[in-house]
Amino acid sequence: MTIDPPALSPKPGVGAGGLSGVRRRAVTHDVRADEQVNSVAGMTMAQAPAGLAARTRDLRKVYGRTVAVNHVDLDVPVGSVLGMLGPNGSGKTTTIRMLLGLVTPTAGTVELLGHPLPDGAAAALPDVGALVESPGFHPFLSGRENLLRCAAAEPRLATGAMAGAVDVALERVGLAAAAGRRYRGYSLGMKQRLGLAAALLLPRRLVVLDEPTNGLDPAGTREVRAVIADLHDAGTTVLVSSHLLAEVEATCTHVAVLHRGSVVAQGGLRELLEAGSTGLLVTTPDVTVAVNALRDNRIPARATPEGVYADLTATTAPEVVANLVRAEVAVHEVRRQRTGLEDLFARLTENDTVHHRLSDDGPADVLDEEFPR
Amino acid sequence: MTTAPVRAPLPRLLRSELRFMLRRPRTLIALLALAIMPVIAGVSIAIAADSMGGGRNAAIEGIASMVEGNGMMLPVLVLLLAVTMLLPLIGSMWAADAIAGEAATGGLRNLLLAPVSRVRLLAVKAFGVATLSLLAVVVMAVVSVLAGVVFLGGAEMVTVSGTTLPFTEALGRVALLVVAVTVQVWAVAAVALAISTCTDHPLVVLAAATGGIIIFTVLGEIPSLDWLHPLLLTESWEAVADVARDPLPMNGLTEGFLRAACYLVIGYSLALARIVTRDG
Repeated sequence: MTIDPPALSPKPGVGAGGLSGVRRRAVTHDVRADEQVNSVAGMTMAQAPAGLAARTRDLRKVYGRTVAVNHVDLDVPVGSVLGMLGPNGSGKTTTIRMLLGLVTPTAGTVELLGHPLPDGAAAALPDVGALVESPGFHPFLSGRENLLRCAAAEPRLATGAMAGAVDVALERVGLAAAAGRRYRGYSLGMKQRLGLAAALLLPRRLVVLDEPTNGLDPAGTREVRAVIADLHDAGTTVLVSSHLLAEVEATCTHVAVLHRGSVVAQGGLRELLEAGSTGLLVTTPDVTVAVNALRDNRIPARATPEGVYADLTATTAPEVVANLVRAEVAVHEVRRQRTGLEDLFARLTENDTVHHRLSDDGPADVLDEEFPR
Repeated sequence: MTTAPVRAPLPRLLRSELRFMLRRPRTLIALLALAIMPVIAGVSIAIAADSMGGGRNAAIEGIASMVEGNGMMLPVLVLLLAVTMLLPLIGSMWAADAIAGEAATGGLRNLLLAPVSRVRLLAVKAFGVATLSLLAVVVMAVVSVLAGVVFLGGAEMVTVSGTTLPFTEALGRVALLVVAVTVQVWAVAAVALAISTCTDHPLVVLAAATGGIIIFTVLGEIPSLDWLHPLLLTESWEAVADVARDPLPMNGLTEGFLRAACYLVIGYSLALARIVTRDG
């Protein structure tokens, strides 16, 4: 177990900021360590399927004197829904643009569906659907005309199949009724949907969505979630960037957290969340007995509204349960304390002091050695 | 893994680009304005023939004084006037929209992601700009011929040299004029397209093209800079009026073609060099 318990306090604000996040990078590679705990929590690990749909190594982009992206090693497993999280300006869009060959990296390599970019763009991009930044459409054309223009450029689409593909895509994003209207008159949500439709014009192996729910109302957000779920079910890999944590938590199997141009954590969503928790929540009516029993065995514990919270920094979950059973405490439920993605995100991104060396040329791993003890 | 990368058929891309440009309101307005101009010129000359001839430029003045009752001379006058500013600006406008404008709306990204390779993208855009420039000149010429024949009369062309050309030969001269003017517009548009690949702001392209034409014209007026004049694209523009001479002098026209060809090569080379590294 590589988790450093004090750094992973489940209480928000107690953990030492980005510190625990960097530590978590190491944790996610050591999936087995969590297996025991996960079985207690009644969860199964989502093992990433073999192969990567997209991969970046040591990716770096410098605009003048501004380092936009630095040492990004991003892995997008095939079949995953990877949520790219990060505050505004953390390098999400720049990374995506490099991933799609729109921007040439200053340094580092990009591999998209097995093809090195930017040279392999012609081979890789036909299988990739993307909505990057705001959708780029022309105000004087109707939604359908705009999509037809995209369809004309699609290598995999036969000329005769263009109109049909456009109609199917419009239907899929719920724009069929407004297809004949000019793009000028579209609401922000409709524009976003049209961008999504362009990405879904034909079956893709990878779909990249940059802030897909921007400007969407709750119903639209749900529809985007449904589309992502559909894609996932069909085996399509999805890379979705967002600063909306709830969205990522609801739709993604994997997460990569970017902060100031670097990946500060990545891995399976559950693993990341589980790794952040070091406590066990026990539901029991015998609160006092339970707390005393645990404290007698030098396990820090306290009463909570539903039962007992046991700290796992110095012990394991089975130990806690065994102690409770020995004390004849009626245990109704035992579950791992789950860190909300919000807590995780806050810890990873809100403590800027740890990550102040972004513009350095040294490896990003240097951060691991910089923990204040 | 697929073997060779598939590409969207080029004719489909070109058709899509033309369709897109022709649906653009500003394209239609520009073509309409170009079509109205010869009509206004024809009507006003027919009504007030004496007031013509106030042009500051000898070539324009010479042609202008010959238009009355000589309808086939109207296209020469109209295109001679338009080639000095109006047509190059409209060509530049299309070049500005083609790359910079598309980059500003994000449409360029859609094409790059499809993917359309950058070289192909430039070819498609250059084709669209060139085709519409040709269309603009043709629209002006056709409307000029019609307006000239209807309002000013005369199915024959009385040339500047004093001879008279039959209608068909006069039409041939107008066709040559269309080619000569179009090539000059293409040259300006090629340079504008190169500027267009360097910016996301179409207005920058238009401003640069306008400024460039004005500066070239001013430099061309300064006699002490005559060593520089062979390099100026604007120097060949007056020579398009040579089509109204008999026999046809080819020196000026040929020089104009060669000069324009140099600008075309330079413009497209710069555009190509820039677009392959441009951030999409």
